Amino acid sequence: MHGSTVATNAVLERKGAKVALVATRGFEDVLKIGRQTRPELYNIFVAPRPPLVEPHLTFGLAERLDATGAVLEPVVEDDVDQLARVLHDHQVDIVAVCLLHAYANPMHEQQVAHWLRQSGLTVCASHEVLPEYREYERWSTTVVNAYVTPIMSRYLLRLEEGLRTADCGPRTADRLSIMQSNGGCISAAAARAQAVRTVLSGPAAGVVGAKAVAEAAKLRRVIGFDMGGTSTDVSLIDGSIGRTTDSRVGDFPVRLPVIDIHTVGAGGGSIAYLDTGGALRVGPRSAGAAPGPVCYGVGEELTVTDANLLLGRLDPDYFLGGRMAIDRTRTERVAADLAKRARLSVPDLAEGIVRVANANMERAIRVVSVERGHDPRQCAVVAFGGAGGMHACEIAEQLQMTTVMAPRHAGVLSALGMLVADVTKDYSASVLRASAGLTLKDLECASAPLVAAAKAVLKAEGFGPSRQVITVSVDVRYVGQSFEITVPLTERYRDAFDREHGRTYGYSNPARPTEVVNVRVTATGVTAKPTLPHTRVRASYRPAPSALRPGRFGGRAVKVAFHRWDDLRPGARAAGPAVIAGGEATVVIPPRWTFTVDGFSNILASLPVR
Amino acid sequence: MVQTSNPIEFEVFKNLFLSIAEEMGVTLCRTGFSPNIKERLDYSCAVYDANGDTIAQGDHMPVHLGAMPLSVRAAIDAVAMEAGDVVMLNDPFQGGTHLPDITLVSPVFLPKDKKPSFYVANRAHHSDVGGMSPGSMPVAREIYQEGLIIPPVRLVRRGRMVDDVLALLLANVRTSDEREGDIAAQIAANRVAEQRLRDVVFRYGRAKTMRYAAALQDYTERVVRHAIKGVPDGVYTFDDALDDDGFGSGPVTIRVAITVKKDQATVDFTGSAPQVTGSVNANYAITWSACLYAFRCLVQDDVLYNAGVGRPIRVIAPEGSIVNARRPAAVAGGNVETSQRITDVVFGALGKAQPDFWPAASQGTMNNVTLGGQDPRTGRPFAYYETMGGGMGGRNNMAGLSGVHTHMSNTRNTPVEAIEHYLPVRVRRYGLRRGSAGAGAAPGGEGLVREYEMLTETSVTLLTDRRVSAPYGAQGGKPGGKGRNTLIRDGQEQPLPGKMQVTLRTGDRLRVETPGGGGYGLK
Repeated sequence: MHGSTVATNAVLERKGAKVALVATRGFEDVLKIGRQTRPELYNIFVAPRPPLVEPHLTFGLAERLDATGAVLEPVVEDDVDQLARVLHDHQVDIVAVCLLHAYANPMHEQQVAHWLRQSGLTVCASHEVLPEYREYERWSTTVVNAYVTPIMSRYLLRLEEGLRTADCGPRTADRLSIMQSNGGCISAAAARAQAVRTVLSGPAAGVVGAKAVAEAAKLRRVIGFDMGGTSTDVSLIDGSIGRTTDSRVGDFPVRLPVIDIHTVGAGGGSIAYLDTGGALRVGPRSAGAAPGPVCYGVGEELTVTDANLLLGRLDPDYFLGGRMAIDRTRTERVAADLAKRARLSVPDLAEGIVRVANANMERAIRVVSVERGHDPRQCAVVAFGGAGGMHACEIAEQLQMTTVMAPRHAGVLSALGMLVADVTKDYSASVLRASAGLTLKDLECASAPLVAAAKAVLKAEGFGPSRQVITVSVDVRYVGQSFEITVPLTERYRDAFDREHGRTYGYSNPARPTEVVNVRVTATGVTAKPTLPHTRVRASYRPAPSALRPGRFGGRAVKVAFHRWDDLRPGARAAGPAVIAGGEATVVIPPRWTFTVDGFSNILASLPVR
Repeated sequence: MVQTSNPIEFEVFKNLFLSIAEEMGVTLCRTGFSPNIKERLDYSCAVYDANGDTIAQGDHMPVHLGAMPLSVRAAIDAVAMEAGDVVMLNDPFQGGTHLPDITLVSPVFLPKDKKPSFYVANRAHHSDVGGMSPGSMPVAREIYQEGLIIPPVRLVRRGRMVDDVLALLLANVRTSDEREGDIAAQIAANRVAEQRLRDVVFRYGRAKTMRYAAALQDYTERVVRHAIKGVPDGVYTFDDALDDDGFGSGPVTIRVAITVKKDQATVDFTGSAPQVTGSVNANYAITWSACLYAFRCLVQDDVLYNAGVGRPIRVIAPEGSIVNARRPAAVAGGNVETSQRITDVVFGALGKAQPDFWPAASQGTMNNVTLGGQDPRTGRPFAYYETMGGGMGGRNNMAGLSGVHTHMSNTRNTPVEAIEHYLPVRVRRYGLRRGSAGAGAAPGGEGLVREYEMLTETSVTLLTDRRVSAPYGAQGGKPGGKGRNTLIRDGQEQPLPGKMQVTLRTGDRLRVETPGGGGYGLK
């Protein structure tokens, strides 16, 4: 199993393939125009966002379909042949074929792709990547795919080669599978063909890992809270992992199902400063690994990590398991300077920095929960990433959430996610018809070819019928709306849609006609799961702290009990304020909270309901 | 001075209030029916204090910045609101912008309140509100021709829809199903905000919430004053003109003199042309919004938008002039066209004070195209409105962006595949308009070109400017290319004026070419 950031970095660093775009003549600039908006309203010096295809590699092709897929102007083979010669002359790596209304009828794209492939070019056509309407989003997804595919393909071939030559056991290379952005995995061969599906695989693996540890600990509704050095990723797991098709990679929309992760630019390394109005701001600028927080000895600007140190929430003798020395005196000097300018005491400033960072992250949790119609109070927080455990309890309290779990191996949750991920494939097709004129049978007919394809692919990858799970769903909206809600395809899908609309937006109208925009098929090949090491908890005990140190919570100086995670046995139970320092992460338990250590050595913190 | 707030709580409350405005926007966009709302995002949402002053407004539409609080105040003045009420209005002379923009205002009562402690409001551009042409953006002589005028009235009373009012509205518009859906989405957005505000007060207490609402306004005011201090003291003048009013007025001058003194500015439009027959009259709300936008741009930090922005600024707009029209002036184009020219003159004047900072003129129009008729596929009426981006002006050391909305608008385009699916129209071409950018050390951006083919008899209304005058260059840069409208009938091309209503036949094509941005600096 393998997850990689090769594809993501190719886009972010603009180091992808040399892509040519073949578009319907008259529409060559669709990707340059985007949605004709500027990304920032009031910034006079707003920066341009150059597309991934260079201007001289964009070509218009005479052809046209209408919105029903009927041919208005056929493709001429000679035109394509001529184009193929030009594309060869330019030595492009791959050609993205993006034609209007290809979701309604793929024939023109198929013809063009076929002729170009015959000439020896590598081609990716928009209907293959995302057969859904809205040209900018479909074409953008297709071009991102083209941009990352050759690099990913080379990378995977090298990897497979390496696995073959190295002695990794029989057929390891054949069984290599790749994490996708949707939280499932696909075979290396499939990833080579549609690399865009792996673009956001890194954070996705963490969420899958968080779900696995949460389920093992019997937590069903969970908010994944992955706080790293520069940013924080927040996701919602409500029995299953929340997904979205509304995501971006860098500046570009990618409309494939991905795990719904909301990222904010606030992490342990985020820099605190005073703006011209005198407000204390934290991030999005980050000290990163270099120069790093002030307490690491080089950085000159105060960060969230420094604030945590000043508040007595880091174990100075055991930072990162004792692998890193930290300089408190230096930090106090830098903090005194900023505190003076803010007209605050150093402890007030430090606590303020943490609160401001928490407020940013709290907003991110609202986005994935409240804005999607979920009540966060019914969820537990699973905190991971280097800094997640230090902030989770206070943020939870602000949102009236009462349970926080910090998994024992927070740093390797992504790796765990990859081990437990199932093979998942998503298929979709545009329907765009009023529900009134559609029977269940019509929709089943529309989805049948997708289901058949999915089953065949799973079978080819070694999943027998007993290990296949196929779900069929439909994207529905009221006629005239532009955003759809995905509900399972059943006889009563219409009722389910009204219910979801009501839950998410506060109202619904069963009398209003609806339409079905897409059918979706998700095919899962269930893999064998490793079991997590577990000790039965026989009795609880009160652990003795390794130290008592002065700390600060809610504006008050308090004595904080410090524990070493390695020393805590399952069954340990104690009250906050406490700090549990581990080799990968630190967990902060504020006053009024209590914590226990479960059979997996996870920390489970809870707040008694008032 | 007693310290009533601290820098930390600022950030916490800023996040809270802003997220309320943003959640309203999400609800509206995802459940709206008009393409203007769901595809183009032509709406704004905000939270107000008990006086109707903005606490936080989402980054939605700049042209609504100053106009929204005026609607809230109009609603407060006209209706004694009770808990559960929703007041609806669109009257441009009572807090509206132009008639298609319908605003819903809701009071938020806290426990034991006799008067509302907060208000929430959202404004959205509806596809049609009646009047002489489909889409309600006509070339009209008076506001009565532009559509249904709604003074502040209760649409919902104590939580119950006032069916009579809704029926009256729906009877006066061309696409009533769509209107009803949009109104439901707008009500839902206000409900979301009311609930969230109550949650905040429950969590932090009434006194603290109110205190920070005020502190946030003071904070924004400080930031804006700080930015104005960076502009050298002096009097800076500039003038420019709209092409015409669609009824042969000829150029309509807008003149400004900005006086900057320490941390405040007076923006005086005395000397601008009197109001005109056609619909390019701006009401005061528009002029105020354009000035707020310009000064908000002066602040290059991401400061929260609220009432604090306006406090250091005084705007003088003579009544009865193009920048402060009196009833019954037609105003449909004031919001979309004149607002852009007001911005151009304010930017131009400030450019004399800080030539390194202010850019050349952007396209200076929104290129409003409205289509309407009867869809032969369904036999039902259709009304469709869209605006088009163009060239952004060149900036110091940075070319202008191409094919984007600039200044007072930031609405999206409607996908070609969506237009063709829902309307009897075919788009024959959509791309950048090469050669339209103004030359300069940093050139302007390119305009757009869009060509529509009518698949049935279609009423077309154009409200476009910068067809006669060109977007100015700055610091020696050349002007951007003028826009152009063309009818192609039976293979023959004929130029169309900037503002007109025309009925096109099946097979006719309309080509709209939008202006490029002016260049910055000598090449």
